[in-house]
Amino acid sequence: MALLTTSLSTTGDRRARLTRDAIGVLVIAAFALVGYFLFPNNLALLTRITAIALLVLSLDLVTGYCGVATLGHAALFGAGAYGAGIAAAHFGITDPIAMLAVGIVSGAIAGLISGVVVLRAHGLPQLVLSIAIIHLAHEAANKASGWTGGSDGLAGIMPDAVFGLWQFDLWGRTAYVFGIVLLIVAFVILRQIVRSPFGMLCRGIRQDPVRVRAMGASVHGTLIKMYAISGAVAGAGGALNAISTQVVGLDSLSFTLSAEALVMLVLGGTGSLYGALIGTITFMWFEDVVSAANPFHWLTIVGALLIAVVLFAPKGLYGSVAAYFERRGRKGR
Amino acid sequence: MKKFAIAALAAALMGGVAQADTIKVGVVGPFSGPFALQGKNFKAGIDAYMALNGSTVGDDTIEIIYRDIPTADPAQSKALSQELVVKEGVQYLAGFYFTPDAMAATPLLEQANVPMVVMNAATSAIVTKSPFVVRTSFTTWQTSTPIAKVAFDGGTKKVISVVSDYGPGVDAEAAFKAGFEKAGGAVVEAIRMPLQTNDFSPIMQRIKDSGAEGVFAFLPSGPTTLGFVKAFNENGLKDAGIKFFAPGDLTQESDLPALGEAALGLQTTFHYAVSHDSAENKKFVEAAAKAIGNPAELSFPAVGAYDGMHVIYKMIEATGGEQDAAKAVDAVKGLSWESPRGPVTIDPESRHITQNIYLREVAKAEDGTYYNKEIQTFEKQGDPGLAAAK
Amino acid sequence: MQTVFSIGVDALAYGMVLFVISIGLSVTMGLMRVVNLAHGAFAMIGGYIASYAARDLGLAYAFAVLIAVVGTILIAIPIERLLYRRIYGQPELTQVLMTIGITFCIIGIANYIFGPTLKTIPTPETLRQSVSLGFRTVSAHRLFVIACGLAVALGLWYFIERTAFGVKLRAAVDNAAMAAALGVKTQVVYAVSFAVAVGLAAFGGVVGAELLPIEPYYALRYMVTFLVVVSVGGAGSIPGALAACLLLGAIDTAGRYLMPEFGEFFFYLAVIAIVWIFPRGLAGRAK
Repeated sequence: MALLTTSLSTTGDRRARLTRDAIGVLVIAAFALVGYFLFPNNLALLTRITAIALLVLSLDLVTGYCGVATLGHAALFGAGAYGAGIAAAHFGITDPIAMLAVGIVSGAIAGLISGVVVLRAHGLPQLVLSIAIIHLAHEAANKASGWTGGSDGLAGIMPDAVFGLWQFDLWGRTAYVFGIVLLIVAFVILRQIVRSPFGMLCRGIRQDPVRVRAMGASVHGTLIKMYAISGAVAGAGGALNAISTQVVGLDSLSFTLSAEALVMLVLGGTGSLYGALIGTITFMWFEDVVSAANPFHWLTIVGALLIAVVLFAPKGLYGSVAAYFERRGRKGR
Repeated sequence: MKKFAIAALAAALMGGVAQADTIKVGVVGPFSGPFALQGKNFKAGIDAYMALNGSTVGDDTIEIIYRDIPTADPAQSKALSQELVVKEGVQYLAGFYFTPDAMAATPLLEQANVPMVVMNAATSAIVTKSPFVVRTSFTTWQTSTPIAKVAFDGGTKKVISVVSDYGPGVDAEAAFKAGFEKAGGAVVEAIRMPLQTNDFSPIMQRIKDSGAEGVFAFLPSGPTTLGFVKAFNENGLKDAGIKFFAPGDLTQESDLPALGEAALGLQTTFHYAVSHDSAENKKFVEAAAKAIGNPAELSFPAVGAYDGMHVIYKMIEATGGEQDAAKAVDAVKGLSWESPRGPVTIDPESRHITQNIYLREVAKAEDGTYYNKEIQTFEKQGDPGLAAAK
Repeated sequence: MQTVFSIGVDALAYGMVLFVISIGLSVTMGLMRVVNLAHGAFAMIGGYIASYAARDLGLAYAFAVLIAVVGTILIAIPIERLLYRRIYGQPELTQVLMTIGITFCIIGIANYIFGPTLKTIPTPETLRQSVSLGFRTVSAHRLFVIACGLAVALGLWYFIERTAFGVKLRAAVDNAAMAAALGVKTQVVYAVSFAVAVGLAAFGGVVGAELLPIEPYYALRYMVTFLVVVSVGGAGSIPGALAACLLLGAIDTAGRYLMPEFGEFFFYLAVIAIVWIFPRGLAGRAK
């Protein structure tokens, strides 16, 4: 049904949509500014949230828009992180923009490979394929300790100043601004992609793959393309993480990170870029606050939050609010 | 302009701290998740030290700020350390259970003018990453080398080495091999098994088939240790007379109630046993047991944390509460004291702790509990791992 | 040859342990269509209760097992009524969120009450012996677990395929609305199935504790293993789960013996290969 309504939309809507995008960008920028001035001493955490937000956005592309369930998405993030890290530590590519490019490419390649594997099955077996991928990736990185530093982590990443002007400092200001700019650029590009005919096709596949096939479109090819795009976004997040923390650990290729990303996405609401952002910010901020308040028993409180969300906002935080307004809007008419 | 701003901010930070009465120490460790027990021991050691020595040094009050990293996560460790330095204004960073977490935070130290006291992480190379790192725990090389001599002197000439496939495991394998071959023995086979191994029977079969007279093992403490030791007994290796050698991580006190009967007679070398017989240790165990609640949970990270606090107190004394990382670290170079584990010294060269390593055997006490009984002492052991790396 | 037999015995024993612990999850995921990531948490609760009963209260092993199963079901009933009932029929991802939340809570509470140390469940003398099979020895406990696995498989098969309740359950699974119209109380059917699944989890947690020791992080540590085994078998199928457990047990054991360095690769590559050939799991039905 949604497929029909969206494909019926006319060019008259385009302007309204562009305005909405501009508002979205402004909101992110405003949030970023508020974060910068309200928590000037927490920039490291904020940068980390930004990097994870890219991972969750990327996960949303395949899970929210294409309906592919995966618990192995950190493989793409880790590929980007290790790609950028290895480029810097072993090949002397220390320009942050170049590192970012390497990360994006590695992420896209990892996305392509895991896309081919994961899309072989559906439902639970699909989930298991993704789990197998993340474990294989983790084990491979552990084995190749000459390149990755193994379980000790890859250290010795020393990025240059951005454009030769802004050094990465102890307070993490440069890294933060770098991350926010990256996030906004990614967000704008993704808005275009999910709204393009290609993005619509993906949504169509999620709702009814048989029908899309009957229309003559290639389901598999479309999904794999989306997986590669998703990989590029996750890779950018990984590269940002490597650049800002100057270290890459095996945790960036872990099942735990994959599962956390999925939790954040569902928490915010799948199938919407805003949902992904809100889920990430809420989860990580909440986790940081409760784990600082009680480092010993915070897990229980996080668990309670997740349960509460399912009980009171079953479509995720953003999804439920959006649904509420939609209902009201319809009643108003 | 930017540099100036940072300098001004740093100066403001330092000036502010110098006059303040509270000196903050940031402790990073695993306080939840699968390694929560080790983090709990950090806290017990710190609490014990502060209970016995007061929470003030001179006019300054010491405040501990804990931050949780459930499993090794260097990026998170760096972010949290940065936050501790910048936001909380800590003058000392301490804790660090996992090597990557410690490594990740070392690049901050110089710029932040903060010393780091490593209370556990056991890879030799950490101290080389920054001149502001001091370690009060042990290295895997340090604890695994003496057992090679014990094995050879006990008449075992052919050993198979079995370790978990990650940094410390590989270290242990290398340390044992170096020590054992130097003594004249032969390591017939070296197996690295995945960290996530639940069933060790196939490994035991490998050990049996290798024809070795003894096995050297290293696994992270916790559930896998239990599975490994049980499999060793159940598959008849113990009855076949195959000797078992390991560093003391394998028989850490908090795992002993679970290991029980199965561990009886196991020989390990380590830097600390809760049963160590000295007045210092009695005092420590009493205070730490009270801090941790359940005395059976007490094990080696607590003593690393306890001595870490001793080093930090000495640093604060030497700097008079001023933030001066170089002066603080210089003050403890060569520092010797009587730790609960025995006499120790901070080696002025490496800033790693020189200590006695003990050969222990798991024994049953009169009340039915199990403990590590010290039977031999290797005095004043440095860290052979750094030399090996060069 | 002897080595091959020897590995075969280990593989069988390990596969059966996996089966006993994961079969309950197969019931919830396949028959009730709930992705229950909290399965391990219920197994852990069973383990803690048994440990408390056998070690601290000194009760007999059999009795401790019984108490663990009943106790875990009692704990699970309010959780089912208050939380699980809300996610029946919901999208899978919502179920994942809810059950991970429950798992986190249970881990936190277990850590708070029992502390982070390993808990053992003392087994009776007879199970602690080593039994000689001629070419090697194996612990009696392993044989006991193999027997338990077979008993559970048979019992469950009978329960689902041969009893009146099983008929209702299968009807409710295939078409809940139609079953309800025919007078099947689907709420009761679901509640009972859930209790059975949780009871099996607790039972598996207790008898498998020798291999997978009880500690607070148990609930997450082995979650992936359970999920993989059940999905490879095809959720909801008892023969499928049994086949998957034996196959994966054999692959894991052989891999750990032949090339322990690459044991992890071996296992997960095999998983990918199996799912590649059987995209719906070994015994998966077409939708």
